[in-house]
Amino acid sequence: MRKYLMSAAACALLALLPQTASAQVATATPGKDVSMVLLPKFLGILPFDQAHKGAEEAAKELKNPTALQFLGPTPQNSVAGQIEIVTNATTQGVKAIMISNNSGDQIVPAAKAAQAKGLKVVTWDSPIPSADGEDVFVAQVDFSDIGKVMADMTLSILGPDGGKFAILSASPDASNQNAWIAAMKTALKDAKYAKLELIDTVYGNDESEKSYTQAQALVDKHPDMKLIMAPTSVGIVAAAKALQDEKLCDKIKVSGLGLPSEMLAYTKNGCAPQFALWSFIDLGYLTYYTAYMLATDAIKAEEGVKFKAGRMGEYSITKDPTRAKGLRVLMGPFTVYNKDNVEAAAK
Amino acid sequence: MTGAAAMLRRWETAMLALLIAIIALNSLDSRYFLSVGNFVNLFQLSIEKSIVALTMTLVIIGGEIDLSVASVMGLAACVMAWTFHQGAPLPLAILLALAAGVLAGLNNAFWIAYVGLPSLAVTLAGLIGYRGVARILLEDRAIGGFPDWFNRLGQQPAIGPLTASIVIFFILFIFFAVVLHFSFLGRLIYVVGSNAQAARYSGVRVAVVKTDLFVSSALVAALAGVLYAARLGSVRGDMADGFELDIITAVLLGGVSIFGGKGTLAGVGLAILVILNLRNGMGLADITGNTQNYVIGGLLILSVLAPNVWEDIRNKWKGRET
Repeated sequence: MRKYLMSAAACALLALLPQTASAQVATATPGKDVSMVLLPKFLGILPFDQAHKGAEEAAKELKNPTALQFLGPTPQNSVAGQIEIVTNATTQGVKAIMISNNSGDQIVPAAKAAQAKGLKVVTWDSPIPSADGEDVFVAQVDFSDIGKVMADMTLSILGPDGGKFAILSASPDASNQNAWIAAMKTALKDAKYAKLELIDTVYGNDESEKSYTQAQALVDKHPDMKLIMAPTSVGIVAAAKALQDEKLCDKIKVSGLGLPSEMLAYTKNGCAPQFALWSFIDLGYLTYYTAYMLATDAIKAEEGVKFKAGRMGEYSITKDPTRAKGLRVLMGPFTVYNKDNVEAAAK
Repeated sequence: MTGAAAMLRRWETAMLALLIAIIALNSLDSRYFLSVGNFVNLFQLSIEKSIVALTMTLVIIGGEIDLSVASVMGLAACVMAWTFHQGAPLPLAILLALAAGVLAGLNNAFWIAYVGLPSLAVTLAGLIGYRGVARILLEDRAIGGFPDWFNRLGQQPAIGPLTASIVIFFILFIFFAVVLHFSFLGRLIYVVGSNAQAARYSGVRVAVVKTDLFVSSALVAALAGVLYAARLGSVRGDMADGFELDIITAVLLGGVSIFGGKGTLAGVGLAILVILNLRNGMGLADITGNTQNYVIGGLLILSVLAPNVWEDIRNKWKGRET
């Protein structure tokens, strides 16, 4: 906790420094011709489609004459597919590629080769763990906040008596999920959460069917488990469906990160009383602005750089406190959904 | 026999025509296609599958199948990463990875060649089992941080613009072409693949031939796994997951009969080029994974259908003549 405060203080200081040095806020010049590729972890997942929508909105606003390419691999071939798309983009002389990385550090050689050819490599949603081959990471929310929100939701669903819970994550090497789980484990050390006990972590690879069977397996394996925490939009729906199908929603609850439109029914019927998320549309929008401004030399990927991202306002590039090295743009904020506000958000 | 030979030649001619058509279309479609860098990338992005397709050709011509190759690739990479992580020097870790491949191959061969179980079942068990060991070794970690020389081996050009993996592919291609088409063992592989029973009665040591096939298949797969690790610079338990189907696709598209006894390495080489150029062309045209799989799946169905339909038509024609 103290460490966290210290780094928060350091962040606050960093945020102050450039203001005194130079209060310059860069703005984008619309109408420049920049070929850009938006690369999700894989195709066919709603949050990524929403990010695409947000990026298209920014593209329209910036009047980029070259259409945005939204290219992704199939879930079965995510790692090799992402590497192939980055390599092909490099061959095509694309100016910027925006990656939601699903390949851990295995993407590094391809990303470095892209940078060597002058491409700007912006990651969003999920960064490159080592930050090698990456210019900047557009983070949805502060990773340590995600850990705290997950712990808070667990506590509020289970009540003061707490209980045992398990995590159903995406793929074992998804660096964002891993960072959130680590952040949650750190948050759980607080005495406030002493009654919460994490008993298992399993992986559904962000495939509905696999996540569904993993949730069922958790139920069979741990009869005293009271909650499944799924920090992935695929896993949380699959887990809620599994519990509903097995008629266990009275005894076991689901929480995590999910999309209001997909979670509406489960929040209404009590299977998943609370979950959280940020706007993927905004994330796509901000990512596009960041990549466009880097590719047009309006900004440099350096600590302390400030820029204006259209309707979303002002952002700055800082050191990424969640990784050993690397830069990030922090989006925020978080929304916790429950039966009172989920309906409005699902529309 | 001459009919079959002519038939095969026709197949390779068809593949070559298809390849030329694809290359022509690709170069018209994308101005980035015809460059040395792109051709190197095109090879490099699937080079490990191409390498394993060579031994898969021999296995299928020998009348068997090896579904465990991708899991052996993963196993070898994980054995290497794990031993390296335990503090062993990398060359030793690589040797152990290759040894793990040989062991996996011997295990497959034992059940198939000496106990007499079908290779489909045995290597399916291998697909599951070897992957299991790989995942147990690495759990949910990714291991990287290999020495620079190893990463360079996988990522930087070794000879001219060619990477070490591509050079190894060409060497192995020539080696296995000689074995299959110009050696005694090669003739035995065709004989065993056409009719194992008859081969046994005429004194061929069928079990030895099959052992050779499965051990080379697993050893080459292990080598490919190590090369894959070098290309990506880090290893995790699900590496090369599902590659076996792409590899078998290339072999069947190359005109090798799934029932054994028929096919050439040249055909498979052409089929690899067809698939790689097709994928690369579609990639450069911004056509994504699902559509690519659809097109290659369709091509495979055609490749299996075409010879049979052709045979049918010919037989009917002959029937009318007599």
